[in-house]
Amino acid sequence: MTRRAPLEGIRVADFTWVWAGPHCTLQLAHLGAEVIRVESATRLCVTRLLPPYAKFEPGPNRSGYFNQYNQGKKSLTLDLKRPEALAVAKRLCAASDVVVENFAAGVMDRMGLGWDVLHGLRRDLVMIALSGYGATGPESTNVSYGPAQVPLSGMSSVTGYRGHPPMHVGVSYGDPTGGLHGAVAVLAALLHRARTGQGQYIDLSQWETSMAVLPEALMRFTMTGAAPERDGNRDPHMAPHGVWQAAGDEQRWVAIAVEDDAGFARLATLMGQPQLARDPRFVTLAARKRHEEALEELVAAWAAGEDADALVERLQGAGIAAFVSARNRDLAEDPHLRERGFPVTLEHPEVGAMMHLGVPWRMSASDSRVRRAAPCLGQDTDQVLRDVCGYGDDEIAAMRTAGTLA
Amino acid sequence: MPDALEGIRVLDVGGGVAAGYATKLLADMGADVVKVEAPGGDPTRGRGPFPKGQPDPEASGLFLYLNTNKRGAVVDLAAASGQRTLERLAGWADLLVHDVHPTAMAAHGLDWERLHAANPRLVMTSIAPFGLTGPRATWKATDLVLWNAGGVATLNGDPQHPELPPLKAFGDQAAFQAGLNAAIPSLAALFARLGSGVGEHVEVSAQEAVAAILELTFEFWPYCGLVASRLGAKPIQPLCFMECRDGWIFVCCVEEHQWKQFVEIMGNPEWAQMDIFETRIARGANFDALQIFLQEWCATQSVQELYEAAQAHRVPFAPVSTMGDLVASPHLKTRGFFATLAHPTAGEITMPGAPYRLSATPWRIRRPAPTLGQHTAGVLAMVGVDASDAGAGA
Repeated sequence: MTRRAPLEGIRVADFTWVWAGPHCTLQLAHLGAEVIRVESATRLCVTRLLPPYAKFEPGPNRSGYFNQYNQGKKSLTLDLKRPEALAVAKRLCAASDVVVENFAAGVMDRMGLGWDVLHGLRRDLVMIALSGYGATGPESTNVSYGPAQVPLSGMSSVTGYRGHPPMHVGVSYGDPTGGLHGAVAVLAALLHRARTGQGQYIDLSQWETSMAVLPEALMRFTMTGAAPERDGNRDPHMAPHGVWQAAGDEQRWVAIAVEDDAGFARLATLMGQPQLARDPRFVTLAARKRHEEALEELVAAWAAGEDADALVERLQGAGIAAFVSARNRDLAEDPHLRERGFPVTLEHPEVGAMMHLGVPWRMSASDSRVRRAAPCLGQDTDQVLRDVCGYGDDEIAAMRTAGTLA
Repeated sequence: MPDALEGIRVLDVGGGVAAGYATKLLADMGADVVKVEAPGGDPTRGRGPFPKGQPDPEASGLFLYLNTNKRGAVVDLAAASGQRTLERLAGWADLLVHDVHPTAMAAHGLDWERLHAANPRLVMTSIAPFGLTGPRATWKATDLVLWNAGGVATLNGDPQHPELPPLKAFGDQAAFQAGLNAAIPSLAALFARLGSGVGEHVEVSAQEAVAAILELTFEFWPYCGLVASRLGAKPIQPLCFMECRDGWIFVCCVEEHQWKQFVEIMGNPEWAQMDIFETRIARGANFDALQIFLQEWCATQSVQELYEAAQAHRVPFAPVSTMGDLVASPHLKTRGFFATLAHPTAGEITMPGAPYRLSATPWRIRRPAPTLGQHTAGVLAMVGVDASDAGAGA
């Protein structure tokens, strides 16, 4: 039986850039949608201009960031400041099932590609705007980037070491969180459309999706009037619960989470100090939480003498949740991830065969995978104009001469 | 108005945040979701936060949030009768989502071959810490462990204090990422089923879901052979926290023109003209020096005024919001973001609301989360199971 892609036959006009929007359409590409990025050589996507560049050589097609989050998509270049390019964009939208954009609120309207216009061109269109603040409300015209969503959403005020300043989370978390919620909403709208024929417009605020994954902190405030304190890696329901430095290389850290008293007894045995499990300071979770600093010192002293990987193997062997604090190289070389086929190496026209991270899910009957490497700028312009928008070769050549396709 | 997922039947056999959130997303868009709980109740009932800080399995904020719009049935999957009930429920359902650990799936009756045989149209989505296959499929994990295993924790920490550990984000973020990455293929499988008529088994690795959001970090290894860590600062700056006189602000100048605007807001100080701050990459490379100049100026400013000045110049600064700031935000109030609902035991509760607004099929809360076993009788009757044979622990 041939495996079909779940979104085979679904076309997405992708006006996104940076990360939130591209992360949304990446999911649709994994599922087999034909995702056509509308880009411009006159204003390049921010991530085409960011390192890491293959072999440190800059170039719009050489950025690992862009090439990670645009896998499986096509690229059409259009200079949308030109009216004749706008006509092309409209033809593309009319030929698409889904339009995705993540400009600041109002930008698509000003370009003449707002919902009212596009919905007029195609009644069953699904369109989603992923903006920072949403399409309505007094701050809707504010500018926002993914990294700023982490503090704006409240995540930073509760993330950090005890007694230290607020912290980021290491990545621009508002972007992928917004993008994934966007993909969920688009799929729900497509299911609705398939059953009713009705399209619709989706207004997504990255700020709001970032708060959607922060219910414990927000509800502690609404239920008790007090927000949680920053408390590092600790957890109110587990102890010990933290990340400790192992022997050797200073970057080798091990995360350990002990879930119950029996787990603590097994840890104490591994530590060569089984009596700790009978120590009144540590015998129950409540006691361990009261003496958490002393407990953490004992674990730190023990871990500091152990090899990180061997330590994790022994902890997992004893049924204790643990993992090294993985770095990029650890993930790239991880035999488990490789056996599962999560890192994907595909040939890219400019950077050659390059490894990227693939799809976090597997489907037993459907064809869900990374279908091709990220596109070079404008790589698919002619094909899309011809096969999707219905232009003839002469028209395409004329548009190129006129600068429409820049 | 109709709901986007009206008529879609879902079973949530969760024990945590991942399956609970995946199915909440569907329930809040109109799917008919039945939450199957063990006789002792879902573990999140014990997690809180609780009104007045007093533990109460019927008033846990996390549980009440994750289970809006769901019906609840108690079924003891450890008992053979409970597993027979699950099989009947799987015959009713379009989709079953669970996050039972792979080593315990069979013991819970979550046998794909058997359920698929019972209902060929069923989609079953299994969320596991490290997936269902591979040498580490049986390894154990918690949220902290997954945030580290997926490579995000190592990026976060204080570069000035290398002795402090890699730091997790607040809350169950690995589980939320896994839940989102479960909802997407689950919906896609239902979409595919419209054409094929057959269901399928979806598996989600939480470790992979976390690694999938590494931003530009992962590629530093395949593209340049560089091992990334928190000590390798962000390549572009400023993109950092600054302390104002009345709180914290996030300074964000990702593009060159934004930096020029910020310099203007600061009154064009002489130091900003130095060569070492000329481009965003140079500012990243010389961040130690930049930070000192910026902090000195920001310490004299108020968060709200600086935020507004930056936004007026189209620069994407953000306040470091406290929970109180968010609940009081006029913008969020205008959009009606927070949802307040009456719960029979917890009283009036306020929680995060719609994460997206669909114009034709709005997100909405039709009922609060179920009390333990609230809908057991009705759910069992629906699939023709006798309550005495339900393994309901009653």
